[in-house]
Amino acid sequence: MMGGYGDVQLLNDDGSRLDGRKVDEMRPVSIEAGVLPAADGSAMVTHGLNVAVAAVYGPMEAHPRKIQRQDRAVIDVRYNMAPFSTSDRIRPGFNRRSREISKVTAEALESVVLVERYPRSKIRVEIEILAAEAGTRCVGITAAAVALADAGIPMRDMIVGVASGKIEDTVVLDLDKAEDNYGQADLPVGILPNTGEIAFLQMDGDLSPDEFDLAMEYNFKAAKEIHGIMVDALKRKYDGGEA
Amino acid sequence: MVELVPALLRQELARLAEEDNRIDGRGRWDARDVSLETDCLYNAEGSAKVVIGGTVVYAGVKFELRTPWPDRPTQGSLMCGAELRPVAGRKYEPGPPSPQSIELGRVVDRGIRESGCIDMESLCIVPGEKVWGVMIDIHVLSDQGNIFDACGLAAIAALRTAVVPAERFDVGEDHKLLVNGTPIMASFTRVGGRFVLDANEEEELGGDERIHITLGDEGHLHSLQKGLKGVFTPAEFAEIFDVAQKRCVELRKLVAEKEGN
Amino acid sequence: MSQGQAGAEQRLVTPGMAIGPSTGKRAGSGIIVAEESFIATQLGWLRERNNTVSVDPINAAYMPRSGDLVVGIVAEVRNNLWFMNINGSFQGLLPMSLAPWKVEFGAARQHMDVGDVVLARVQEVDECHNVVLTMKGVGLRRLNQGAVESIPVQHVDRVRGENNALLQRMRDACDCRIMVGENGRAWIEGSSEGISWARSALQQLVQEGHSKGFETILNEMENKTKGDA
Repeated sequence: MMGGYGDVQLLNDDGSRLDGRKVDEMRPVSIEAGVLPAADGSAMVTHGLNVAVAAVYGPMEAHPRKIQRQDRAVIDVRYNMAPFSTSDRIRPGFNRRSREISKVTAEALESVVLVERYPRSKIRVEIEILAAEAGTRCVGITAAAVALADAGIPMRDMIVGVASGKIEDTVVLDLDKAEDNYGQADLPVGILPNTGEIAFLQMDGDLSPDEFDLAMEYNFKAAKEIHGIMVDALKRKYDGGEA
Repeated sequence: MVELVPALLRQELARLAEEDNRIDGRGRWDARDVSLETDCLYNAEGSAKVVIGGTVVYAGVKFELRTPWPDRPTQGSLMCGAELRPVAGRKYEPGPPSPQSIELGRVVDRGIRESGCIDMESLCIVPGEKVWGVMIDIHVLSDQGNIFDACGLAAIAALRTAVVPAERFDVGEDHKLLVNGTPIMASFTRVGGRFVLDANEEEELGGDERIHITLGDEGHLHSLQKGLKGVFTPAEFAEIFDVAQKRCVELRKLVAEKEGN
Repeated sequence: MSQGQAGAEQRLVTPGMAIGPSTGKRAGSGIIVAEESFIATQLGWLRERNNTVSVDPINAAYMPRSGDLVVGIVAEVRNNLWFMNINGSFQGLLPMSLAPWKVEFGAARQHMDVGDVVLARVQEVDECHNVVLTMKGVGLRRLNQGAVESIPVQHVDRVRGENNALLQRMRDACDCRIMVGENGRAWIEGSSEGISWARSALQQLVQEGHSKGFETILNEMENKTKGDA
């Protein structure tokens, strides 16, 4: 994915990005809580042109029995891209990429949900990507966190999905599609906004230690901003007005 | 997962039917409010979101270039599929496509295909070499009753607003997909012994068989499907057929309004 | 949908939100302590009462407790017991010995079959969330008539009112029997008109609280019932 194509220009002469953003500027984010009436909790996150929907069901008895844990709940995540979410249609069904993202997302959510409150149970988290424009796993994590809160699932903190990366040897926040395709590195993380801990971490490409530090700084800054939007979405839904 | 049907629910639905009432107070042929939004998803060449009560459905259209079948060298192709993934409700489980989702996709597919609203010849680029394959994918996100009508409406609305991405495939200029007609589905469920239009979740849970009717612009039948256990009489069909005619005209108008924007 | 309660200023909190120092106060439900600070763990309204800080959740799953009155639906029948759906994570088990009838081994189905609706009590819940139900007790029985309406579990107390006062007013107003289970299911029995009034009244109460609008429809129904009598 990270080809580092030398001939594709991703930064303008004035140092701004092709879509006009500054290097430390994220795409616009909007969030709505409680969008799916059938679910116990749900959320829709629009991040740039990405659209992700998450639904939460449970806690319910974990089955099959072999996945049951006597001391805690398991979180059963399915990350799925709708067939029409990408430029080339995706054949429906699970693939290796979705399976990996589902696994690490579940483990990240298990790190914030108070799973020990619900022995032998499972909490189902369904993440559906309706439109993809780079960074869907992060948008999915953000949607899942709002949906879990909406469902009344106890958590010690929220979790926010954000990513930074590198294009033309420059560290930038929140890669868009072209930057993701032709950039040099991508660093998606799941940040706990109140404790400042990290529950999700992936990276591919090439980053120097200094570049990594700067990318993480950008990520923390963005997480704080998105967390504010998450809280606003929940307040809008239930407080009958603005936060 | 087989859903548990409370005996009291069936009993109550029967009592309400006798009083010509419904569990949410609607008349027998009254539908819930329908909202339709089109062109709502980046990356889909045509898209629509339909909300009927608590039911939420998305449809997206994608195109691909393919080689035509040897026996039909000047015809493109159309495919419509539906996914009933676990996101849609507690009763839906992960796994390969269920018989229900296959039925749903095929019933919507037949209505659109048989109405002839897509002229397969118009999808030809180079006879014998290159034709368009049109794919409609329907994604049910929340099932609170009557997903069939929601899916049918989302599919045709997405199709009617689709733009053929010819530039991206280097075969000419982008243009609107040619769609001659607006096939619409109306679904009926037997609840408390008699048929009602647009059943909600509780009515489906405590109800019996369902009938899906897809009608074209001239009021002609293009697809019929009877699902679930139960039987009905020709007289019952005649009654719901009349209602379906009116219902389809209303929903067709809604699609036209969205296109006008 | 506004769920803000009348009266005192209510503060909406979200998971992870720091509430303030924990010194001198106790952490109630929906609150954990981290580094001498209270942290909310659930979306809901912050409450401080008797030196205890807690969160009244906006949404919550039903967690059975012993003594709860529940409306259950028979999900499975065995030779000597029934499994009931009680709107919780796990099914509740009703052994033959706690049924209200003298049941012969293998004859359980003759008394209650799948889909039957019952009024039961939670006898005990163990640490693994296994739930044992009982139908021995005043008023506990199979419900042969009436309707079941769902209510979010966190609103059960609101629906009942102080000492069941509000529930009793609703019962009198529509001349229906209404039982509200802790598991978020209400059972309503009476005339068709009464049942549909009770259904919509319960939904309005859940959404608005004991608002002016709710008081108006309650008054209307009370006057109507008095007039008829």
